[in-house]
Amino acid sequence: MSPDRTSVSRTLVPDPVAIRIEELRKSFGDLVVLDGVSLDILQGKTTAILGPSGCGKSVLLKHIVGLLRPDSGHVWIDGIDMAIATPEEKLQVRKRFGMLFQHGALFEDLTAGENIAFPLRYHTRLTAAQRRARAQEVLELVEMPELHDRPTSALSGGQRKRVALARAIVLEPQVVLFDEPNSGLDPMTSTTIDDLILRMKERLGITFVVITHDIVQAVRISDWVGMLWQGRLVAYAPLPVFLHSEHPIVRRFLSRTL
Amino acid sequence: MSLLPGLARFGRFLGQIVWSTVSNPLPVGRALEEAHRIGVNSLPILLVVSVFVGTNLSVQGASAFSTIHAERYVGMFVALAGVREMAPIMVASMVAAKAGTEMASQIAVMRIQEQIDALEVMAIDPYWFLITPRLLGILLVLPALTMISIFTLVVSAYGVAITQLGLDGHTFLEQATATTHAMDLVYCAVKAFVFGLVICVLSCYHGFTSGAGASGVGRATNAAVVMAAVSCAILNYLLSELLFG
Amino acid sequence: MHLFDRLAALGRFGLFTTRVIRRLITPPWEIEEISRQVWLLCSRCALPVLATTTPLGMVMALQGLVIFSIFEAEQYLSPLISVATFRELSPVLASVLVAAQGGSSFAAELGAMRIHEEIDATEVMAIDPIRIHVVPRLAAILLACPLLNLLGSLGGIGGGFVSAVWIKGHPGTLYWSELWSMTGGMDLIGGQIKALVFGAIIGLVATYEGFFASGGAPGVGRAVNRTVVTSATTFIVVNYFLTSALFGVPH
Repeated sequence: MSPDRTSVSRTLVPDPVAIRIEELRKSFGDLVVLDGVSLDILQGKTTAILGPSGCGKSVLLKHIVGLLRPDSGHVWIDGIDMAIATPEEKLQVRKRFGMLFQHGALFEDLTAGENIAFPLRYHTRLTAAQRRARAQEVLELVEMPELHDRPTSALSGGQRKRVALARAIVLEPQVVLFDEPNSGLDPMTSTTIDDLILRMKERLGITFVVITHDIVQAVRISDWVGMLWQGRLVAYAPLPVFLHSEHPIVRRFLSRTL
Repeated sequence: MSLLPGLARFGRFLGQIVWSTVSNPLPVGRALEEAHRIGVNSLPILLVVSVFVGTNLSVQGASAFSTIHAERYVGMFVALAGVREMAPIMVASMVAAKAGTEMASQIAVMRIQEQIDALEVMAIDPYWFLITPRLLGILLVLPALTMISIFTLVVSAYGVAITQLGLDGHTFLEQATATTHAMDLVYCAVKAFVFGLVICVLSCYHGFTSGAGASGVGRATNAAVVMAAVSCAILNYLLSELLFG
Repeated sequence: MHLFDRLAALGRFGLFTTRVIRRLITPPWEIEEISRQVWLLCSRCALPVLATTTPLGMVMALQGLVIFSIFEAEQYLSPLISVATFRELSPVLASVLVAAQGGSSFAAELGAMRIHEEIDATEVMAIDPIRIHVVPRLAAILLACPLLNLLGSLGGIGGGFVSAVWIKGHPGTLYWSELWSMTGGMDLIGGQIKALVFGAIIGLVATYEGFFASGGAPGVGRAVNRTVVTSATTFIVVNYFLTSALFGVPH
C-alpha cells in the first residue's frame, strides 16, 4: 500500500464511499493471499482492480460479498462490517448487490429466462407471468432477447456471460461486482461486454467493481483503477493518474499494451 | 440413450480392450501396483462391512430358525448364506463403490481434460495404458479380498453366536465346516473373478464416455456404480444357479 | 494432525446436519422442488432397485431350497423369503442402490453446482442455498426410500417365486399360501423404519459431500465416491444394531 494513496482518495474526491476495505488479510494455510489491503470504492463510479492471475483478486471480491471471512481487517458497507456480519446482515447487504461470476455460475438445469427470474422468485412478490416479463426486459437490456427459453447448457460462453449479467442486475442492485468478465471470451465479445457495462452505467447509475487482468478493459470502462500485486494494493488512483503512475509494477503491466 | 447403438458402442469398447491387451506387452508392474492400491484402499471398509454382515446373519438366522426350533443350524445357515452368497456379492458391491467409482472418475477426468486424446497423439494406446493394468489388478485382488471377507464374516458370526445368542460354539463350527466344501471357496473365487471383470469394464466404459465438465464426471461416476451393482446382482443369480444349483 | 482433520470434518458434518434439519422442519418448504426430486429419485432408482432385489430373491429361493430339502420342510421356503426380504434384503439392498444412484447423483449435482459457483451465486443473491438446494433433496429421499423399499420387497418375493416355482418346480400354491405365515406387522414396519434411517444417512452424507466439494471436476468425482462408500458402510453397520433393536433376539 503506497502511503500517498489514502490522501488522494480522502482529499481529492468528494464522492460518497460505497465500500470501505480496511487492512484486509487472508491466508489459506501457509499461502498469504491478501496482505493488508485497504481501499475505498466510490459510489456511482466504476472501479477496476487489476492484477495478474493468482494475485488475490477473486478472493478480495468474495470478501466483499461475505463469501469468505478475513483473518483480520474490515469490509464496511452501509455501516455493516461484512467481516463479522450476522447472516441477516449479510442478506440485507446482498439484496442490494449483484455479482457476475467468472464462469457465469448459471443454474445448468434451468433455462436462461428461469435463471434471470430466479432472484425475483425469492425476493419479490411478482407473479410467474410478471417474472417472465421482467426477465425478458432485462434480456433485452443485455441485447439477447431471443435467449429466454434456451436451456443454459446450449449457451455459448459470451451468451452465458450476458445472461449472468442480466441475472445480476434483475433486482436493480446498487452495486454490481464482476469477476473477470472477459475471461475466456474473444476480443470482439469482450468489447461488447465492455460496451454493455458502459451503457448500463450511464442508464442505471450503478456502482461497478470489476476484477480483471485485462488492462484494455480497465482503461475502457473504469473511473478508478487499483493494482493488486502479491496480496497488496500497490496503486489506487483515478484512471488518468493511474496511467501515469511511476510505480514499477504498474509500468510493467501497462507496457504490455500501451 | 437408445439401446442398440449403446450396446454396439459397448461391444466395440470390449473388443478394443481385448485387442489392446493382447497386442501390447503386459504391464505387469503397473498391474501389481493397481492390485495393491485397490486392495489396500478397499480392505478397511470391507472388514467393517464383513464383520457387521456376519453378526447380522447370525442374529437373523437364529431368529428365523427359532420358529422351527432348529437354532443349532445357524452355523449351516451362515455357511450357506454368508459364504456362498453374501460374501462375494458384498465384496463386489463395496469394491464397485470404492474402486469402481474411483476408476470411473479418474478416467472421466482424463477424458474431459483431453488427457486421453493426448495419450493417443503420443501414440500410446489409451486402452492398454489405462484399462489393462486396472483390469489385471482387480482380477488379481478381488478373489483374495473375497477370501478375507469370508473368513472375517464367519469369525464374527461365530462370535455373536456364542456371546449374544448363547449358542454352542462347537456345533456352530462343525455345521459351518461341514457345509462349506473346498469347491465352494473355488466357486466364490470364480464369482469374484467375474464380478471384478464386470466392475472394471463398466467403470472404465463410463469414464471413457464421460460428458463434459464437472457434471459429466459426476454422472459418469454415478452411472458406473449403479450399472456395476445391478450387473453383479443379476450375474450372481446366474452364477449361483450354474455353480451351486 | 490426521486425526484432528477427521474430528474437524466430523464437527463440520454435525454443524451441517443441524443447519439442514432446522430448515427441514420449519416452513417455507419448496413443495414444487421436493415433488420434482421425489419423482426424479423414484424414476431413477426404481429399475436398479428391482434389478437387484429380484435376483437376490431368486438366489435366496435357490439356497433356501437346499436347506429346507435337508429337513424336508419346504413349506418354510416362502415364509423365510418373506421375512428375510421385509426385514433385511429389501431395506439394505434398496438403500445400497438408492445410495449408488440417488445419493451419488445428489453429490454429483450439488458438487457441480459448488464447482460452477452456483451455490456461491445463490448466496450472493441473498437466497439460502441450503433451503433451496439441500433440503428438497433430503426431504425427497426421506419420502422416496419407503416407497422404493416397498418396491424392493415386491421384487424379492417375486424373484423368489420365479426361481422356486417356475425354475425349481416348488409348488406355487404352497408358496403363496405360506408366504405370510411368519411375517408380522412388525416386520413391515421395522423394514420401513430401516429404510427411513438409511435414507436419512444417504441424504445427509450425499448433500454434505456435494455441498462442500472442492477441486474442480476431480473433486466432484471424489465427492461421489465418498458418498457411496461412506453411506453404504455406515448403514451396514447401523443395520446390525437396528436388526437387534427392532427384531430382537429370541431366547
